[in-house]
Amino acid sequence: MQTPHTDLGPTAKPAAPLRYRAERLRLTGRVQGVGFRPFVYRLANQHGLTGWVQNQLGEVEIFVEGCPADLEQFRTELIASAPPLARPLIAAIREAECQLLQNFSIRDSASQREARIFVPPDNFTCPDCLAELKNASDRRYRYPFINCTQCGPRYTLINAMPYDRPNTSMAGFPLCPACAAEYHNPADRRFHAEPLACERCGPSLELVRDDETIATGNEDCLHLAVNVLYDGQILAVKGIGGYHLLCDAANSSTVAELRRRKNRPDKPFAVMFPEGDDDDPLACLRQHVTVSEDEAGALLHPARPIVLLRKQASSVLAQNLAPGLAELGSFLPYSPLHHLLLDAFGGPVVATSGNVSGEPVLTDRNTAQERLGPIADVFLHHDRPIVRPADDSVMRRTGGAVRPSRIGRGMAPRELEIPVALDSPVLAVGGQMKNTIAIGWKNRVIVSPHIGEMDSPRSLLVLDTVARDLQKLYGVRAVQVLADRHPGYTTHRYAANLKLPCTWILHHHAHASALVGELGGEDSWAVFTWDGVGLGEDGTLWGGECLVGRPGNWRRFASLAPIRPPGGDAAARQPWRSAAAMLWADERDWDGIPDPHRIAYTAWQKGINCPTSSAAGRLFDGAASMVCGIEDCSFEAQAPMFFEALATPGEQMPGALPLLRHEDGIWRSDWRPMLPMLLDPHRSKQHRATNFHAVMARVIVDQARKVRDETGINRVGLTGGVFQNRILADAAMRWLRLDGFAASMPSVMPCNDAALSFGQVVEFAAGGGSQHE
Amino acid sequence: MNEPRVSLAQGNGGRFMRELIQDVFVRHLANDDLDTSLDSAVLDFPQDRLVFTTDGFTVQPLEFPGGNIGSLAVHGTVNDLAVAGARPLYLSLNAIIEEGLPLAQLERIIASLAAAAQEAGVRVVTGDTKVVPCGQGGGLYLVTTGIGIRMADIQPRPALIQCGDAILISGPVGDHGTAVMLAREQFGLEGDLASDSASVLPLTSALLQFDGLRFMRDPTRGGLACVVHDIVRSCRLGVALDEWMIPVNGPVRSVCEMLGYDPLYLACEGRILAVIDAAQAAAALECLRALPGAAEAACIGTIIDSPPAVILRTDIGGERMLQELEDDPLPRIC
Repeated sequence: MQTPHTDLGPTAKPAAPLRYRAERLRLTGRVQGVGFRPFVYRLANQHGLTGWVQNQLGEVEIFVEGCPADLEQFRTELIASAPPLARPLIAAIREAECQLLQNFSIRDSASQREARIFVPPDNFTCPDCLAELKNASDRRYRYPFINCTQCGPRYTLINAMPYDRPNTSMAGFPLCPACAAEYHNPADRRFHAEPLACERCGPSLELVRDDETIATGNEDCLHLAVNVLYDGQILAVKGIGGYHLLCDAANSSTVAELRRRKNRPDKPFAVMFPEGDDDDPLACLRQHVTVSEDEAGALLHPARPIVLLRKQASSVLAQNLAPGLAELGSFLPYSPLHHLLLDAFGGPVVATSGNVSGEPVLTDRNTAQERLGPIADVFLHHDRPIVRPADDSVMRRTGGAVRPSRIGRGMAPRELEIPVALDSPVLAVGGQMKNTIAIGWKNRVIVSPHIGEMDSPRSLLVLDTVARDLQKLYGVRAVQVLADRHPGYTTHRYAANLKLPCTWILHHHAHASALVGELGGEDSWAVFTWDGVGLGEDGTLWGGECLVGRPGNWRRFASLAPIRPPGGDAAARQPWRSAAAMLWADERDWDGIPDPHRIAYTAWQKGINCPTSSAAGRLFDGAASMVCGIEDCSFEAQAPMFFEALATPGEQMPGALPLLRHEDGIWRSDWRPMLPMLLDPHRSKQHRATNFHAVMARVIVDQARKVRDETGINRVGLTGGVFQNRILADAAMRWLRLDGFAASMPSVMPCNDAALSFGQVVEFAAGGGSQHE
Repeated sequence: MNEPRVSLAQGNGGRFMRELIQDVFVRHLANDDLDTSLDSAVLDFPQDRLVFTTDGFTVQPLEFPGGNIGSLAVHGTVNDLAVAGARPLYLSLNAIIEEGLPLAQLERIIASLAAAAQEAGVRVVTGDTKVVPCGQGGGLYLVTTGIGIRMADIQPRPALIQCGDAILISGPVGDHGTAVMLAREQFGLEGDLASDSASVLPLTSALLQFDGLRFMRDPTRGGLACVVHDIVRSCRLGVALDEWMIPVNGPVRSVCEMLGYDPLYLACEGRILAVIDAAQAAAALECLRALPGAAEAACIGTIIDSPPAVILRTDIGGERMLQELEDDPLPRIC
């Protein structure tokens, strides 16, 4: 044991002590559960430095000593060469006294109490593991559950913090000696890789047909599973965050059968493509879809999200994958199991969530067998339990950047920081559709992965579990619950039953605050919150609002001329209702309205179940219906998606719609002058669709100009589900910027209702919301 | 223009009132126990376990396809007694008449009330009449109070409900609510839409033969959904309903679809929902289907061991929660 001989002074040391310096570094950011300490260990050894590294209170503390030049190099590489999943930030560096340690060591973690905990999301299979997977001499050759500190499942297998193996769903798999040696070797890239496993000690596959196990060995299972795909049958596969349904994407009759069994006539399916070699991992994908550089970056991100990409005319894939749409949801294998399946199959497969429409993806073997039994011919199970679901993430290029429309596996839980610290921890339960929840305390907000539509009991069960789990994992206990003010939302009722003080946040205030919470800034904003429906301040349904101000203080500045679609919620499924409401409001009639007995019209005249709505989403529905003749939708936003697919980007700003200030002080854009154009059979559908999108983008510019004229505000945000529409978002962003506005859209959180939970926290932290329903 | 109408004078306690009572009420409702010279009826009971209920009727319009406020005032109260396992015997009748109500209409309504009472085997034995000034009432309000006696030893009640019990409905739901709404708003629809207003006494009498019967209720205001939520609230168990098994008449379904209403929330006035031991469900169903007005009786769900919630299962394997009725249902989805 070496101890400094202080009595002799440093000059008496043997090894060139005069040139030695020592430093203590404190690192924050994402540094735990990502292989950061072994990386520091290897880096220090590489530069001949001694000292130690230790996890402390969720941060990493490093003591390091050696030559100044080596130290400098060490500091640079500490950030620049950090493992892909790590996001280290040097919080503090200070000079320390040399201790002349003999080696560099990894010290045991300090207590996790009060720790700054990070729950890592689930990630892809890293290149190192992929190389081993394909290396016949490696002991994990073709092992479907290979992983390391840089890759593999995290969020979906953690039972409790700290993130150690006994606290994960791998607790039931004792390490074999070879794995244990890697796990305990600080120099190994699997040092403390908690889900570490191999063929000998880890999870394994099982193939089931008609409730009977037909294969168990990994190789047998893979071989037979691939044959199931070849045979044009449907395979349910247990992945990282839940089950997928897989089938041959080139076989249109199989795809049609899947649609029939899933009762999903039109909604697009995502397609998983085999990953090519290092020269071009996207080689196969490029044969079927067009990929820009930033889209390629998104596809290859460790989260391996689904990215919506433009179909190529030459693609030989089934035509019924995304009927009526110009794009195809595309992604790459994200787990070793998927790599093995796709490589063996050699072509793209449909990979759609194994769930009943709108519910969270299924994770449990028995439930999957029961509920997917009528859909899947064969099940490929494995025995690593999924603690909680994580559906695939989805991204799309809109408004000049690739942005998420669903945060799930690999992207969530997602942490964001808020400028105003919360006095006490809160739970925000979000909205009704595409829901997420969030917990917030101090300056931190953690947003859950996508949960789903909140109508089903399973969605509510998952929401409840995730709400409890996130609080447990992060060691916080909410004393306040935040929910949407709409009393009919499942989440509103859930919040009201929690026996905690509730604060109700207006839907569009939450949308606007989510945008500002992500993009920051002290200035006031004009935020366009355009979506399908949300309860507004005045008791009517909003969704075409221009809100001015900042979190905690929003004012409705401008809106759209309202309509009264007959049948309330039915308008979401039947876009002709919005068309009828638009036309009747202008005293027009149209033979495309399927109302032979004038029941809907009488109801509209008498105001029976025809609630007033200023939602932009309804106008897109109505216009789509008028142009395309769509009566019924089998999935949300189907009509506007078809409509968008017809449109081309508007080059020049079209003429303006009337924008008038009403008695209540609110500016409203009147869309009625567009009606003759929309109904004109002499113009092509493409022309009408293009024109409508351009005019709606122009509405945004005109309203933004009014805001600037009156208030001087120049920062404009676009959010709400309608801005998932690329044609609209691109045009609005371009024209706003040409007009000198600082225009932006969210890119960390989706612009749709998935952002409500985060927005509720931001709005509440800034003093917004009401205690009265 | 000159049709006879009810005047304020007919409610002042004098001759006009006596004549109104005699000419309209007594003429139709006369029976051995009704003596308008007394302020109270004196009644004999064969046993001492009485069942007692009261209900007010304010329906608009007063007359609608399939019934009117008069027949409804009998069926509503009779059915409340019937689902409690009782045989109704006596009714009281309070009529609050708005000045100006056409006498002919009043007479039609009271005649209909009398016919309904006779059919259900109850006697109106006491009553009261008031006339309120024009503009202070909806034409006619009726209040009936009913007394019955228990028919069987078992007393159906929520406390008897157990996991696994079957839920039966005696016929299509939503008829009354739809018919009244269409009549009130003058949709001008001709056709098969009529209220189901009827006495459920034959149905409840039949079901009382089953010792596995747990609970009966007539799904009136708030419809089937409201009754099921009441069950969930009082027995703290879950209910799973099979959506495709719930009978809904075709015209009701298409009108509701067009208007964006859910028939599960709309009133019935001649149906019962029964919870019964699953082992006796098939026999009970057979028994019901043989009775008039219950040919379409169906087993629509099960009591399940889950947190209190109503889950609606669809024939394609979906599940959604059937929420309690909001005062004013607002669209929730985009």
